[in-house]
Amino acid sequence: MLSILSTSLRDIMSKFLIKVVVTCSLLLSTPLIAEESYFNAQKFQVHGFVAQGIIDVNGSDFVNDDGELSAELTEVGINATYQLNSKLRLAGQLVYLDGGNRYAKGARIDYALLDWSIYNNDFWQANMYLGRFKNNHWLYSSSRDVPFARPSIILPQSVYFDGFRDIAVGSDGAAIKVSHSNDTYGNFDINLSYGTSPISDEQATNLLSKLAKGKAKQEHDAQASFYWQPAFSPWRFGVSLLDADFSYVQGTPSFDNPFVDSDFTFQFYTANALYEGEVWEFSSEIYQQRFIIDGFYQNGFHDDNVGQGFYVQTRYKWNSDLTFLARFEDFYLDKTDKNGKKLEENSGGLVPYYFGFNKDITLGLSYDFTSNIRLRMEYHWVKGAGRLTPVVVPNPRINDSEDWQMWAAQIMYWF
Amino acid sequence: MFSIFGAIPAKAVEVITHKSITQQSLTTSQLRRIFTMRQTYWSNNNAITIFVLPSQHQLHRSFSKERLAIYPYQLERIWNKLTYSGLGVAPTVVDTPEALIQAVLNTPGAIGYASKDDLILFASAHSLDTKEDALQGDTTEKAKPTDGYNNQGVVHVINIID
Repeated sequence: MLSILSTSLRDIMSKFLIKVVVTCSLLLSTPLIAEESYFNAQKFQVHGFVAQGIIDVNGSDFVNDDGELSAELTEVGINATYQLNSKLRLAGQLVYLDGGNRYAKGARIDYALLDWSIYNNDFWQANMYLGRFKNNHWLYSSSRDVPFARPSIILPQSVYFDGFRDIAVGSDGAAIKVSHSNDTYGNFDINLSYGTSPISDEQATNLLSKLAKGKAKQEHDAQASFYWQPAFSPWRFGVSLLDADFSYVQGTPSFDNPFVDSDFTFQFYTANALYEGEVWEFSSEIYQQRFIIDGFYQNGFHDDNVGQGFYVQTRYKWNSDLTFLARFEDFYLDKTDKNGKKLEENSGGLVPYYFGFNKDITLGLSYDFTSNIRLRMEYHWVKGAGRLTPVVVPNPRINDSEDWQMWAAQIMYWF
Repeated sequence: MFSIFGAIPAKAVEVITHKSITQQSLTTSQLRRIFTMRQTYWSNNNAITIFVLPSQHQLHRSFSKERLAIYPYQLERIWNKLTYSGLGVAPTVVDTPEALIQAVLNTPGAIGYASKDDLILFASAHSLDTKEDALQGDTTEKAKPTDGYNNQGVVHVINIID
């Protein structure tokens, strides 16, 4: 039922977005603000962004296989929202992404939803979102592919792994958000969501292996999160839970299609804290993931892994235009094998130990030329290959060193 | 000239609403709820439409810090998250303080802000000799420009209770 609903909503939204693009180009050729009618006021709003950068990775296939300087750092988006009546609103966003090996290149519908305002008064808001909605559960999950709305060009990969981007960024289904504002106890937000994400063959290859010629599918994705900001406090705290099931169907077995039918379960729990002061900002997420494989390598194969990690991040606002960033991230795929030795032994030496973890020290800055033009630059020192694609069957031939580095610069405009 | 606004609390940025808003005052908490989009309807069930200046504008920065006690970058984040994730709708950005006053004047249910000086300038630009009459003896502190806005040209200046 939900998938039929979301499919038809997607169709409606695609048509809607095309109209929006046409309307925008018409609007842009005429004066935007006439007396008593304000562009982007009230019922209908259009926004968007364009970002282009350069990125250079030395020592891994994070962006490209040859290690050359790359311009594969393009993000373009346009969105629209239309208030149908006091209870219902339509919203959708189209994005075009090019990140090299990080995710599939091309355009996609980022979200396309019907927002039903179930209840609201001065202190309560309850909304239900039907269709394709964005993951609103982690600190930066809903803004991960909006260049100026996230803290850095490349996010902490252990949580915001680009290889999982298309699956983790949102779902087709239903989500509920309940917000309560209390003058004494502060702001409370509860988010619940249930849905599925389509998995393209390219994503399946990225996640599993080039030899995974079968069909991968997400069976379900259920998530919940809770946020609390004490009254007039610079702090906010949150927790989130995720449970997702995937299946893989081999099709006809052959020499170049060796992996058998399988089920995968992915569970992910996070806790986060955010401090927003006048010049200093602090944020951190700690998390535990559980990844269960039944089958895949051979019938009867079973693997149950618990990985853990965290990052701490600080930003310092030098003035209203210039902000510095520093971040440390530490993640290991198996909490009983933090240095990856077991991983190397169990694979008979095929998978080197450094595929068992991912540590990243990041320094960066961003400079605002105007209220909507920003330049961002950053440098990453990375140890480990635990967050490179493909995930299930890694590629140690290209990723042949434990230490690798990258830098990136990106200019972004939004309206 | 300045005495016209003598009864207004001594903050440089005033909160203004469309004349359809009957509320005489708002608490800082209410104002925060409204500008952080946690309250989207007035108590009479009319939708709230918010107008703001660009995030780097000095008046916006003063309003954010003095009136809301929120840093401008925090507001921007909340609004960006709503706008680019489909979760909600953010305020409408206008380019100049005058355009902001004009937008609030023309939009039922609207709320915005203006500096005392801009309100005086706006009033004198639009009504050379009636502004004193419009404001005199009025506890709701209205600026009343005329010249084509006779029927709708009232901007409420709202009292903010800390």
